[in-house]
Amino acid sequence: MGEVSTAGSGAGSGVGARVRRKEDDRLLRGRGRFVGDIALVGMKELAFVRSPVAHATITGIEIPEEHRGAVFTWADLAAGGVKPIRAVSGLPGFKVSEQPALADGKVRFVGEPVAVCVAATRAEAEDIAASVFVDYAELPVNSDMLEAVKPGAPKVHDHWPDNVFLETNVGGNIAEIAATAPVKVSRTIRTARQCMVPLEGKGVVAHWDRHVEQLVLTTSTQMPHIVRAGLSECLDLDQGLIRVVAPDVGGGFGWKGLLQPEEIVAAWIAMRLDRPVRWTEDRREHLVAAANAREHHYEITAYADARGRLLGIEADAWVDAGAYSVYPFSACLEAAQVGSILPGPYDFAHYRCRTFSVCTNKPPIVPYRGVARTGVCFAMEQMIDAVADAVGREPWQVRLENLVPPEKMPFDNVTKKHFDSGDYPESVRRAVAAIELDGWRARQKSGEADGRLIGVGFATYCEQSAHGTAVYHGWGIPMVPGHEQAQARITPDGGLELRVGVQSHGQSMETTFAQVAHEVLGIPLEKIKLVHGDTGLTPYSTGTWGSRSMVMAGGAVATACRTLAERLRRIGAHLMQAGPDGVVLDGGSVKAGAAAVTIREIAHTWYRAPQLLPADVDRGGLEVTAGYKPGSDHGTFSYATHAVALAVDPEIGQVEILDYVVVEDAGTMVNPMVVDGQIYGGVAQGVGTALYERMPYDAEGQPLASTFADYLIPGFTEVPHVRIIHMLTPSPYTEFGVKGIGEGGAIAPPAAICNAINDALKPLGVIVTNAPMTPEAILGAIAETRGAA
Amino acid sequence: MSAHAKTISLTVNGTRVEASVPPRQHLGDFLRERELLTGTHLGCEHGVCGACTILIDGEPARSCITYAVACDGRSVTTVEGLDDDPLAAELREAFSAEHGLQCGFCTPGMLVAARDVVLRRPDADNPAIRTAMSGNLCRCTGYVGIVNAIRRVIDARNTNAG
Repeated sequence: MGEVSTAGSGAGSGVGARVRRKEDDRLLRGRGRFVGDIALVGMKELAFVRSPVAHATITGIEIPEEHRGAVFTWADLAAGGVKPIRAVSGLPGFKVSEQPALADGKVRFVGEPVAVCVAATRAEAEDIAASVFVDYAELPVNSDMLEAVKPGAPKVHDHWPDNVFLETNVGGNIAEIAATAPVKVSRTIRTARQCMVPLEGKGVVAHWDRHVEQLVLTTSTQMPHIVRAGLSECLDLDQGLIRVVAPDVGGGFGWKGLLQPEEIVAAWIAMRLDRPVRWTEDRREHLVAAANAREHHYEITAYADARGRLLGIEADAWVDAGAYSVYPFSACLEAAQVGSILPGPYDFAHYRCRTFSVCTNKPPIVPYRGVARTGVCFAMEQMIDAVADAVGREPWQVRLENLVPPEKMPFDNVTKKHFDSGDYPESVRRAVAAIELDGWRARQKSGEADGRLIGVGFATYCEQSAHGTAVYHGWGIPMVPGHEQAQARITPDGGLELRVGVQSHGQSMETTFAQVAHEVLGIPLEKIKLVHGDTGLTPYSTGTWGSRSMVMAGGAVATACRTLAERLRRIGAHLMQAGPDGVVLDGGSVKAGAAAVTIREIAHTWYRAPQLLPADVDRGGLEVTAGYKPGSDHGTFSYATHAVALAVDPEIGQVEILDYVVVEDAGTMVNPMVVDGQIYGGVAQGVGTALYERMPYDAEGQPLASTFADYLIPGFTEVPHVRIIHMLTPSPYTEFGVKGIGEGGAIAPPAAICNAINDALKPLGVIVTNAPMTPEAILGAIAETRGAA
Repeated sequence: MSAHAKTISLTVNGTRVEASVPPRQHLGDFLRERELLTGTHLGCEHGVCGACTILIDGEPARSCITYAVACDGRSVTTVEGLDDDPLAAELREAFSAEHGLQCGFCTPGMLVAARDVVLRRPDADNPAIRTAMSGNLCRCTGYVGIVNAIRRVIDARNTNAG
């Protein structure tokens, strides 16, 4: 277990300080270096021929004579020894899909790569792609997960008995409660399929470095070391022959946390042609071929007593996992997570949840910011409001009735999740006060002059972050997080280089890890350089996902710097001819009483004047690689209550957010400005999930949005000026008491907004349960209720 | 390709450029691939996200839906050309102070658009800033930091002018 301290006073530039970002200047001058900015001598561009149909057998591929040699198919890759992507889960009953990097005789979703074309420019490569004729014998399509699990549904993978990657069953002791509970409410709840939409699409530049004799893949990824492992498996190439580099990455949100077929293809083409090649995902490719997140369906029942005290939750949940299992997270992570986290932050005893990871003719599911939690929170928080309605209490009161109270922390919930710390009920009380609920209730009573209906909604969640080893080992997927390592090196002029295997793509790690190092060593931020996201330069890491980087890599940075601090202290003491006792490292100098020697002087001694070193000096010098794991393998649990006040126009179905408050607890914040930024950004994405974002499919599995004009992400005028209130309960298990916070903002908005809309529509007797809550959906629900009346 | 190429002459960040370009090449690709001005980012190539916003004769424009051949005789300014622009410097300072960027991909377009808003709307309140900036998308920041940064610059300018 790491040493726990309570740094974070906010003074200076260490842990807790709101310092400006080291990343900003280059990005503000257009001098970042993204994959698309890289040009290598002789570089060729790639364009993919993609399937225009959702399910078909390929009966022929005709390549025009003049383009032979510029077009490659799976037959070429397979002849070259390339293997399909296999992302297997060890959970019993998991059915294995094999995903060839280019379709192997069959296509299973619109946008699936079928062939790759090489030319001097992207435009010319697209011309060639347009000239390739692929003959498809179309097959019946699974475009909806609930149809796909019915007997007789067409099979996505012919050799499977059905279309279910995995079924899981959690709990089960529910029958007696179901028979006797005074209150029983049921809902059918659904979230839509979404695209993650980082503003920079995916991209990759591949070349064979003849000098180092390595394949170098520069790619827009969150996890370079995992991409290297996956490439090694698919290309049958030793990992030592592969270097994966992530340059500046323009947002990820999960979409850049996988091994992509296009990465395998680019790597193989670069080696085959012995030329650098580049592929840049364009927006249409992203929207069509990467509509891969969030699609859940719940049949859920809550049992409660007459006060609204939860007695049990029972649910069946389906997740549309798409056509293949992605590497490394697999097709089952999301649905399996539903089963384990549906109980949310609540304390109740009886639970049963059955989940299905359903295979359909859509792009393979990839974990998106918040992963299953956004859907789970959407379902569970609707049930809390439904129970409150049934027992005639305010929804916030029913939350207080059921949330794990602070005196029970740390707490093991009904699915054995170990909540580390915090005061969940207090987050609700503060949210109720901050949104000024009484004022809105009064306004609801008096009515609006314009006929709109006012609603207030709440949603509370807790979020496991910095996942440990046991849970991932339990899933048995290709990636299990263990210890995280960091390397810290004092430079000969007294600066500091940090090397971490995670990757920063907006999370501000170049600044925040420097703050952690500064907290320990006192070296000024401008003298600290973070090297990240490069398998050739950094220790192994599973990468940036699951809100883990500050807890894990930040913890490793602190650990490595502490070891350095001790070595600096001993050399410094010797230089001052003092014994080691009573000598301290403080403010960038080693001090013994009134005497002091700077880190710069100590560095000079180690590198340039070793004759002055003590005879028993640590031979590791001023360079340390240290490993770290938190004191608990269960990760950290940040939590929040979101409160929203909004107006619904029952005539046109339009929703306007009038106020939005987040009361959250991320434990100790390394940089409060950065934490706020993560929350603001997460809420914006959550607003998209709640009100706008949906990739519609027709019955043939055709995606019906392919530009930003028809796939709507929230802009300046759709996102509220969110107000954030911090609670600061340190985790007892981590360095400085930090908790992961990167995903949380995106979890609660759909639930809070849905509850607010239902609060507004209550006078009409209308309930909406599906996201996104578009004007059509709201008007549809109103019309349906009127029709039934 | 080259058989159809057209020769154009334009000014890019103050420098005269003559180039032979394919008629179908958009200005964003021309700036990035030929002039190596990679600060102009392509986020959608549909003219919606605004990441590729540059100035043509001082007016904001989408470089992804502007053909390079249509810029013959025009003056183009990219984010790289705003290094010494005093207002851009104020905005860079404010974006950093207010955490108006995270991954930085939308940022060049945001700066060009924000500069135009500050010039045209010195009276803008926050809702007006949001409306004026609504042609640019950001997926990281939730817009709060960007609005606050523009607010900061407008307020400072008004204070100094007052």
